[in-house]
Parts: sequence; structure tokens; C-alpha cells
Amino acid sequence: MRKIGVFICHCGVNIARTVDVERVAETLAGERDVAFATHYQYMCSDPGQNLIKDAIEKYSLDGVVVGCCTPTLHKSTFMNAAQSAGLNKYNVEIANIREQCSWVHKDRNEATHKAISLVKGAVAKISLSEPLYDFETDLNHNALVIGGGIAGMQAALDIADAGYKVYLVEKESSIGGRMAQLDKTFPTLDCSACILTPKTSAVAHHENIELMTYSEVESVDGYVGNFRVKVRRKATFVDWDRCNGCGECLNVCPIRTPSEFQAGIGMRTAIYRPFPQAVPNKVVIDKRPLAPCRFGCPAGVNAQGYVALASQGKFAEALALERKDNPLASICGRICSRPCESQCKRGEFDEPISIRAIKRFISDYEEEIVPPDLPEPKDKKVAIVGAGPSGLSCAYQLARRGFKTVIFDEANRAGGMLVAGIPEFRLSRKAIEKDIEFIKSWGVEFELGRRIEAPERLLAEGFDAVYIATGAHRGNRLGLPGEELDGVMYAIDFLKKINSGERVSIGNNVIVIGGGNSAIDTARAAVRLGAEKVTVVSLHQSFDDMFAYREEIDEAIEEGVEFEFLSMPVRFIGENGKLTGVEFVRVKLGEYSEKWRMREPIPIEGSQFVISADSVLPAIGQRPDLSFIPENSPIEVDHKRGRILVDETTLATSVNGVFAGGDATTGPASAVDAVAAGKKAAESIRRFLEGIDLYEGRTDNIMKVEEVQFPPPYKRQKREKEQFIAPEERIGNFEEVSKGLSEEQVIREAGRCLACGGCVECGECEKVCEPQAIVHDMIDRIVEIDVATIIVATGYDPFDPVKKPELGYEENPNVITGLQFERLVSPSGPTGGEILIDGRTPKKVVLVHCVGSRDATVGNLYCSRVCCMYLMKHAHLIKEHLPKAEITAFYMDIRAFGKGYEEFYDRVRNEGVMFRRGSVSEIYRRGDRTIVRAEDTIAGEVVEVEADLVILGTGVVPRSDVDEIARKLRLPLSQDGFLLEAHPKLRPVDTFSDGIFLAGTAQAPRDIPDTVAHAKAAASSAMGILTQDKIVVAPIVANVDAERCSGCRICEAACEYGANEFDEKAGVMTVNPILCKGCGACATVCPSSAITVNTFKPAQIFKNIDALLR
Amino acid sequence: MHKLLIKNELLGCIQCGRCSAGCPVSLRTALSPRKLIYKNLRESRKLPKSQDIWSCTTCRTCQQRCPKGVSVMDYIIGLRSYQVERGKIEPTMRDALESILKHGNPWGRPREKRTQWIDDETDVRILSEGEETDVLLYVGCTPAYDPEIQKSARALAKILNDADVDFAIIGNDESCCGNEVKRMGELGLFEMLVEENTALFKKYKFNTMITISPHCYNTFKNEYALDFEVLHYTQFLKKLLDEGKLQISASIDKKVVFHDPCFLGKQNDEYDAPRELLKYLLTDEDNLLEFGRNRERSLCCEGGGGRMWLEVESESPRNAEIRIDDAKSIGAEIVATSCPFCQLTLNDAVKTTKSEDKIRVVDICSLIAENKFEETEMEE
Repeated sequence: MRKIGVFICHCGVNIARTVDVERVAETLAGERDVAFATHYQYMCSDPGQNLIKDAIEKYSLDGVVVGCCTPTLHKSTFMNAAQSAGLNKYNVEIANIREQCSWVHKDRNEATHKAISLVKGAVAKISLSEPLYDFETDLNHNALVIGGGIAGMQAALDIADAGYKVYLVEKESSIGGRMAQLDKTFPTLDCSACILTPKTSAVAHHENIELMTYSEVESVDGYVGNFRVKVRRKATFVDWDRCNGCGECLNVCPIRTPSEFQAGIGMRTAIYRPFPQAVPNKVVIDKRPLAPCRFGCPAGVNAQGYVALASQGKFAEALALERKDNPLASICGRICSRPCESQCKRGEFDEPISIRAIKRFISDYEEEIVPPDLPEPKDKKVAIVGAGPSGLSCAYQLARRGFKTVIFDEANRAGGMLVAGIPEFRLSRKAIEKDIEFIKSWGVEFELGRRIEAPERLLAEGFDAVYIATGAHRGNRLGLPGEELDGVMYAIDFLKKINSGERVSIGNNVIVIGGGNSAIDTARAAVRLGAEKVTVVSLHQSFDDMFAYREEIDEAIEEGVEFEFLSMPVRFIGENGKLTGVEFVRVKLGEYSEKWRMREPIPIEGSQFVISADSVLPAIGQRPDLSFIPENSPIEVDHKRGRILVDETTLATSVNGVFAGGDATTGPASAVDAVAAGKKAAESIRRFLEGIDLYEGRTDNIMKVEEVQFPPPYKRQKREKEQFIAPEERIGNFEEVSKGLSEEQVIREAGRCLACGGCVECGECEKVCEPQAIVHDMIDRIVEIDVATIIVATGYDPFDPVKKPELGYEENPNVITGLQFERLVSPSGPTGGEILIDGRTPKKVVLVHCVGSRDATVGNLYCSRVCCMYLMKHAHLIKEHLPKAEITAFYMDIRAFGKGYEEFYDRVRNEGVMFRRGSVSEIYRRGDRTIVRAEDTIAGEVVEVEADLVILGTGVVPRSDVDEIARKLRLPLSQDGFLLEAHPKLRPVDTFSDGIFLAGTAQAPRDIPDTVAHAKAAASSAMGILTQDKIVVAPIVANVDAERCSGCRICEAACEYGANEFDEKAGVMTVNPILCKGCGACATVCPSSAITVNTFKPAQIFKNIDALLR
Repeated sequence: MHKLLIKNELLGCIQCGRCSAGCPVSLRTALSPRKLIYKNLRESRKLPKSQDIWSCTTCRTCQQRCPKGVSVMDYIIGLRSYQVERGKIEPTMRDALESILKHGNPWGRPREKRTQWIDDETDVRILSEGEETDVLLYVGCTPAYDPEIQKSARALAKILNDADVDFAIIGNDESCCGNEVKRMGELGLFEMLVEENTALFKKYKFNTMITISPHCYNTFKNEYALDFEVLHYTQFLKKLLDEGKLQISASIDKKVVFHDPCFLGKQNDEYDAPRELLKYLLTDEDNLLEFGRNRERSLCCEGGGGRMWLEVESESPRNAEIRIDDAKSIGAEIVATSCPFCQLTLNDAVKTTKSEDKIRVVDICSLIAENKFEETEMEE
């Protein structure tokens, strides 16, 4: 028999109103094991506690059950009372008859019955309790503060002033937080920076504070007094020991990306500091995965880089950057298929950047090719077979590395298909010559007019490696009746002739067959030769699905070329050996076919028709001509498809030292693909010649930027249009049709770039950095620190009004957020503190209260507490800057609850700000006006108010990464998504994890004075731990029964805290009571039931349940 | 406390006025949802007898904007329902409801003529009981009977045939969906329609239902418990387009603005499918204009909630007229929409504002059909 005392609390009337406390006490008094039972109005009060103490002594109680409120409130109160009366405090149990009974029930009889059950259950549990004793352990005396805003700084300063070491970890490169972004502070109108900078400076210079900016907490292990924290020191790419904060780099960086500090209404460079007064005054480089344009280029050309340099007028630097990866700047600036532009993120917004036109400009801008500084020559020699884009690219890349290269080509001119297949009106010969000259300037030699047979033999002729890049020069044949007729000429032969200056006679009526670029080129060439009627006949169903580029088609249409779709040639008709027409049949398109590279054309029976013609030029594609590789060659070839077989990664052929790439290995592809292959082969050849592994590191995944933000300052701006020769002036000559962009256009066009990839490693900053602090290959570092206590001061995010599309934030440049207004009115903002919208001074201003607060439509039910006041401050600042401005505030309720706040409200009203009661329902454009629609609920009328500037009183929301913070620190969130405090009234800075405290807006929305107070409270709580000599740990931990433990170690994996430690010698599991949280996860997985948790032993739980159910 | 207040959470109202400010008729009629609620909160046992509730177009903006989760529109429909139960309903609306009960359509037309929209050039299969089809085209009352909107039905049928879609219709057995019935407050009739229609659909085998009207789409999708997919035709055509089964080539060289129907946009969050279709039709994407009040803010045409059968008194111009004026002011030549009611109200407004030579109102499916089959009757 136990002697248990039962004490039922009335909690004023909180419990007693619904639960008959007297009856509960009486009923319990008659229970087994109960020696004494009573009730009292406030058991937690001193007289109440004395009641317990006296009873313990008088009845020699060995257990106490208190029926009262939740144990999180007063269990420790009663445990301490019991302990002081000589009873082991772990023999005290709480039956929660308030939150779990009286507050949730109405029926007094049922509630009383339930209360009796709950208390009986507690008695049953405690009847099996045993005395337990706290553990003690040592602790370190350091604190960690996470977040360098006003809360974090204040907490750090308080703790540091008390003489303890503080680590202050901040995600950004500077401390200061949100408060640094504010202009003035309400209601005193102190300049935010002026009251903040003394703090930042104090933090920076405090001997007890170790500042870790641009860093994030990676993980937290351990327990109060002995936390071990891993901190990721993110790579800044700048050696901060060397950086002196001079800011020279900021002047030369060509990248412009939205500034986080300016809340999106200003721009910053890729190498940057958030604001000029940053602490520490150091710069970082914003590096991201590759920009999609750069990623999309097969040759990996740094498109974003040269576009950025071009935007600054640094055309020579831009060209040099381009040429690192592609020597054919002038050629590709004209005819590249532009995979970069199709990936350009700006295209999702309005139109892609005209990257190719910029490339053309920077290349044409160069007046004279400056001889490069040649590298130290190497004694290895490489033969390149084929002077097309792939061969040129390979030779150039090798020459840049000092290898001697010789290019062979059977043609008398270098350029391959670029000269043979592309007419001058698309690609001027001057452009080709320029790139060739540039390649020659690197020492590449050409042996033109020499056909190479069996190229592997070159290895025996003094070459150390060979690259075959012979392209695809053989025209495909239709194989139709009448091909022998005079007037049938394959387009590739036709183009080769006219491109070598031959005048070809084609007559007046010309048919071109095909849907690709060479069909269009052929048709346009025919027009220039004077043909009166040129018809392109293709299998496709419209311009949209033709293979040819749309712009080429459009130019052909301008030049009078006609089109016939869904038609397939059947035979060529002639008289006396001379072509007179072509018979076609209509087709319909079936399913996609690999063979056709389009949906399979199915002839429609009986739909034959004839088009008369003087000549027909089929342009139905080419294939490699591999006649230079003999049948018995050791170089493996797929003769059926006409491809040289190579390894995909290295482009190595079956012969050691012989590589091949470009169209000869893939069939016809684009020029930039050929350039890419050449570059790839050059890398393989270099490795081959230097004896390095051909594969290593080449198949690694390269990341690209997936999401790019288009913040509101970006306005729709169409791409610049190239100048073209008028269509009527194009006939009869082959002059290049496009004249490209002008210098002004290029600067404007390049300025449209969103800089998706951040830093482009153009090297401009390195040139001006005197202390040579730039370190492009820096990597993140993880450091470990030991701390006794942690303060979480991670702050908040402003509500994103994009979530309320009816407010028109995205489309109206004059609808801005509260934080953006702070930047707009701040002297350090993008306008230098002038209130300008689109360069104009607003006359009518509307302030919108409660945007994203108190709003179930966005799931934020709470009041953000600062918006009413900051909007009043904005109204005041506008009045100060623009006394004539008409200001209307639409509000639901005004909350001016702090010291001096109501007075500030009075002041602002007296300044002439109109407050109308009613919440704004929608904001939209009417012509060039912005209309705010709300109901003035006092007047009872719906109003439409015009505004030049609308400030949205955006509320306070949890940080977007709050889940991650919560996960790392194992902290729960409250329903509103902020970090949860241990008790909303009594423990506002504590968490449920001992030693971890909350400060500022990470816990709930609050203004600066409340934040500072909260931070000081958190600091004081943290110091309560730091001042201890020992840490006391409750004994509610798991125990292992060594007799029963089989040593299976399953529990080890179940423990989240690493408390289960295997005793190798004894072959059994042990539990480190300091690390154990008593969660019981190990007990539930133990197959031999060897683990029990103190105060939650199975017998106790079962007896408890039995009693509850009785 | 009246149960209608509890059911629609009126007690949570903080009188902020977002409902009234968002209401498309609050500036041209006496309807003010906020005032209605306030009155009812003060006299919570009985319901207000206001006749203003009949101005409501059930566009649902009020309910969507409410920061406190008050079911404002449902409450107004509830008020209507109490009046309907007591026989207090405008005669024109009553006639429409009676016609639905008798003929299965609100237009007073005989059931036997429901398939008369099908002309010689239109190839449409009519299902018999037990028959199977991939897609069931639910035509709806207005496209079936209204001579102007019949064009949309024919256009859609042609497009579906051209894309080789296996589709069919129910024919004369098809009945009103009940969307407007419910919103006029005739809940008994609505429940009957749900029961009968659900049983009717079970007689056929099909995978997807497509509707011409967003109103039918709304009630089938959200208020019936059906075991098949329901799509608005713009969504279905967009799908065909993505799958390569429908080809639209750019041919319209005019400035077009899309008017978001409330029952497609605001109530069912479909803003993009119609715009995507239009982009394919335009030779220059920049010619797709936007109203200042677009998408979530689209100004209701006043065709919903039974307002097709009730003109409200007002000195202010109709919303449809405002819409046409707005379209003119942004330089649009075509107002495209995808709802029969919007088409009718906006077309009327073109006439009353004498804008016939400047603006054309047209359904997206008619635009597509014109584009594909130029020689047919679609050309106006």
C-alpha cells in the first residue's frame, strides 16, 4: 500500500465552475493507495503549497497527485514543494483537469466524472513510482546568437557585456538586419541608421563577440550547457583578410542584379556589399549555377559574361571573353542557331536577349586583330583534317595551349560548309575572313587544296595526333524518275557553285524542295539570280513546323518567295531532256517518325498535281562524304549511315591518337555544335598529348540556374531590332542583308539581361583589386563551435503581395510595398531619398493597411502589429517631403498601442492625412491611372480613388526558411508559422528545448522597442545558464536492462539524439543520460523489451490506462 | 440566431467592406453585402427582406475577398432561397425556373428542339443509352437554343471533328445543369436536377465531359459528385494543342482582349488556357491585350446568378457597357470570351454603345473555327 496525497485545485473558478472539485476529492479519498485527499482554491499559491507540504509530513505521504492545470505550468512548482517537505520530487504527478477537462467541457456531471478518472489514473501511475535523482554535468561558457538583426545584436551585446564569449552568426555578409533597411523609426522619427550604427559598430569591436557573417548554422548537437554547433562559412570568393573595403571592384563589375537590401527597387553588382555602411566592410561575390544561356551553348560560351561587358561598353573585353570558348565570333554572330537565346530566362518574361546580335557587334567593333601573346610553344604537332568550324575551333584551342597545328582541306578556301553552303547575303565573306585571320594570329597553319586520304597515316608523317572534321558535304538524293533531266540540280551543288562566284543559269520559274535552312538559302539565292517565281515546296504543314529558322523564312517571304505545304515530289517531268515541271502528291501527317525527323508524311491517293518549272533545286539534306577513308581503314566507320564512330565523351576514334568530331560523326548539325566538338576534341588531344586521363572530370554534372526572379522594377522592354537592307534592294546582289545593331542599341539590349547566373568570372574585379583579394575557387568551410546556450533571432520576411493578385502589385510600378517605400525615401536608397515614381513626384498617395495580415485568404490570421504605425510614419514622411500631396489611408482598425503611438496617430491626422475606414478590395489600371477600390464603411459608399503612388502595408511573415531553422534546432512552430515559445504569456523567450531561447520577430511580429526588450529578456535567460557551474539534468531517461539486452543495436538508429552508446566489451547497449531526452523511441523498437523510460515504465502506463478506463 | 448566419460564418464579419468594394454591382445598384450583413448581425433572429439581393450576379468576388472567411455569396443565395420558398421572386426569373422544370431549359423552348443547333455541315453523334464515347460534349441550354451562341456549339463540334476526337452528345434528353437554378435560390429544383442528371449520365459510357459554358462546368465540377473528369472546352482544346492533336496557326492580325468569365476565372482559377489558345491565333502575341481589371479582378458582365432573366434598375451604365468602353479605350478590336452569357451581355453592350464598327465580341471556339475553316459560315 502506498500513501498518496491527492490535491484538487479549483483554479479560481476555472476548474471549479465545471468540475465538482469537492466530489473529486471525496471520491479519491476512498481510493486504494490514497492516504489523504483535499481541494483548495489556488493550489499553486503559498497556502496551497503549504497544504501539500503539511500533508506530506502529517501523513508520511510517499506520493503526491495534484489535479490542476497543465504540467508545463506548475509541475515544477509542486515538485519543489514536495522536495522541500522531504518527498522525492519525482513522486509527484499532475492530472490535468483544466485544459483537458474543465475548459473543454460544459456538462458539470460528465466533467466531474472525467476529472475523477484523470486523477485516478495519475494515482495509479504514481503508485508505482520510485525516487529518482537529477544528474549534474559541466558546461562551457559560450553563447551562440543566430541572426545579426537588431534582436541578435542586442542579445549578443548584453551577453558579451556580462563577460561571456558570444558567437554571432549572420546569413548575410553584413549585420544590421531589417532595421538597416528602414529610413526612420516610429513614433520618434529617429533615423534608423543613426541609432543602429552605434550598435553594429559596438558588436564589431566587442572583444567578446566573434562575428561570423555570410555564415549559416548547419547543425546543432548536444544539450544545454554543451551544444556543439556546425557553422557553414559560405564562400565569399574574396579573401577578407586582404579585402580593405575600398569598393573599387564595385565600379567595374558589369553585372546588375536586384539588390536584396534595396528590396528589389535598386540594383547591385555581382561583387557587392549590401550597403555602404556594411559591418564588416567587406565584399562578397554572388556566384550561382550557370546562366541558362551559357549552359545552353554547346560550346559553353560565356554568353552572360560578354553580354554584361557589352552593356558597359567594354566591347574588347567582351570579345576576348567570347573568344575563350569560340574563335568564330564574327561568323557565329551572324549564323549561330542561338540555343542560348531559346533558353534565355528573359524570354519567359518578354523576349530573350538578342545575344547573337550583340556577339556580332562586339566582333565587328574590333577594327584590327591585335596579335596575341603566344604561349610557350610545345613540341607536339597536331593535324586537323577539314577547315570547317569544327576543325578551326579545335586548331585554335590547341594553339592557345602552345601546340603546333596544321589544318588540311581539299578546298582552296578555309571555312568548310560555312563558305560552301551559306550564301553571302547571310554570312559575308569578310566575316569569315576575319575569324580565319584571328585563328591564324594564334599561329595555326593552313594547307589548303590538299586532300588527305587515310588520315591515320598522318601519325606516321610527324604528327602526334589527328582530328578529323570533314563535315557533311554530300547531298542526299531523292531517287525519283527524271533526276537526269537538265534543270534538276541538288541545292548543295547549286550553293557551292554560287558561293564560289559562279553564275548559274536557273531560268525564271524555280522550285525548291525542302523545309530546312538550306532550302530557304537556295530559294533566296534563286531570287537574287533573277528568278521571277520561286516556290518552296515542303512536307511540313506551316511555317511553324518547318526546320528552317523563322526569321529566314520571314526574310524569304519579304523577298517574294512562295510556299507550298504538305506536298511530296513524285517525279520530274521533262521534254527533250529538259525539265518542264514537277509532279507532287499531297500528304497528311501521321505519327512522329525518327526517320523523317517529323511526323510521317502519308501520301493522299489521287491528289497528284504538277507545278511547271524551269529548274528544280532539291534541298533535302546532306550526309558526310567518307570516301577518304578506305574500306580497310583501321578507323571504324558506319558506312550505312555515313558516320565516323567515336567515343561520345572524348571523340576518340578506334585509332589511338586519331579523333573525329562535328558533322562527320553526327550528320548535319549547326555551326556551334561543330565549334563545340572542336573544343571538346582539343581538350581530349591535349590530355592525350600530355598523357592525362581522357575522361576524368568531364562527365560531371554542370548545374544551371533554374529559377530567376523577375522583380517588379523590370519593365517589359522588347529586344532591339537589327537593321536590314530593304527587300527590294536585295534582288540581284548577294550583299549581307542584316546590318546588325548600332552601338546604342547594343548597350540597351545588353542592359536587358537579367544576369541569371550572377558572377560571370570576367576578371574585371581582379584587374582593379590592389590587395589581390579575389579568390574564384574558394569553397564553403564548416567550423565547429561549443556553446552552452543559443539565442535564435532569425527575424521575419515582409509579406509578398504577389499572393494577393487583386492588388495589382506585379503590374503597377506605382504600387510598392512598405519596405520598398523605406528604401525609396532613404537617403541611401536608389533615388537618394527623393520620392519619385517613374521619375515623377506623386501627388495622390493611398496607403493600404493590413496587406497580408488579419487575412484568411492568405492564411495569416494575426495582426502584424507594425503596419498601422509604419504607414503613419510613411504618411508623415510624404507630408514632410511633399507637403501638397493628398494622402488617404484605408484601414480596417487602427492599432496604435505603444508608448507615444496614439499621440503619433494624432499628429499625423493633424498633418492632414485622411483616414478612411474600409479595407481595399482591389487595385487596377484604368488607362494610365491607378485606381484603388474600397468601401468607405463610415460613409457607407464604395469609392474608386485615383493614386499616383500606392503603399501596401505589407505585414510580417515567418522567414521563408523558418522550417529549416526549426528543423536544425528541433524547435516547433506555432500555428502562424513563427517559432513557438514555451508559454505565450509566462515564458515568451523560452523554447521547449532547454538552453535555446527566442528573440525578436522570429517568435512573433513585433516592433523595434518590443524586439529589443525581447532580445534583452532572451539574453538574460541565456545568462542564467552561463552563470551556472553545473547543469542539472532531469532523470527522465531511458534505462537498459543489461540482462535482457541482446546487443542487436536496433535502438541506436532509433535515437535522434545519439544517446544510445554500445558497450563493445559487455556487448550491450547503454544510454548516456545527459544526451537522452526520454522520448522513448528506443524503448518502442527494442525487440527484447530491455529498455524502459523512467516514470513511464510499462507497468505504470498500463496501470494508468486501466484506471482511466475503469 | 438565424441558422443562415451561423452556417455562413457571418459572426466573424469585421465590417471591413472588402465584399462591397469588390462587388461588381455595388456602384450601380443598392446592393451592399456588408450592409446586408451588418443589418442581419444587429437583428440576428430574422433575415433582412431586402430586394437588393436580386441584383447579385453570384460572381463570388465578395466571398473570395473576405479576410475573415465569411461565405458572403452563399449567404446572399441563402437569402434568395428563403424568398423563393415564400414565392417572392421576380416573374421573369420564375418563368425561367418553370421552363427548366417543364422543358429542361430556361429559355421556354421545347425539349424536342434541343438538337436543332446541328446543321447539315455539322457532324455530331448522338448517344443512345449504353453507348460509348471518349468525350461527352455537354452542350448546355444557351448554346443549344440561342441562335447566336449556337454558332459556338457548331464551331466546337467542327474543331473536335477536325482533331479526330471521339465525341458525342446526349441529344434531346440533355437537361439544364442547374447552376443558375441554385444561384437563383431554387434549391429544391437544383437538387432534383442533380439527381436526374447524375442518373442520366450513368446511362452512357465516357471518360471526359466538356462544357461550352463555364457555368455548367462549375456546377458539374464543384456541386455534383460525378465520377468522370469535367473540363471547360478551353481547357480541353489547350490539352489537344499540347498533345499536337489540334493545330492552330496564327492568322489574326487584330488587337484582341480576353474577358475572363467569372465562373471560369475567379471561381475555378482557369485564367491561362483561353489566353494560350488566343496566343496561338494571333500573328503577334503583343496584340493580346489585357483589361486593367483582368483575371482575379475581371469585371462581371452581370450575366450570372439568374441575372440573364432580370434587368436591374440603375442610372449607371451596365457593366457590359463599361467593359466595351474599356476595350475600346485600350484599342481592342476583338473582345474574346469563353462563356455564352458573357457573349450575350457583351454583344448587347456593343449594340447599345453603338460600337458595332469598332468592336466585335466573339467566343474563342468560333475564332479558332474561323481560323481553321475560313470558307464556312463562321465568317461574319
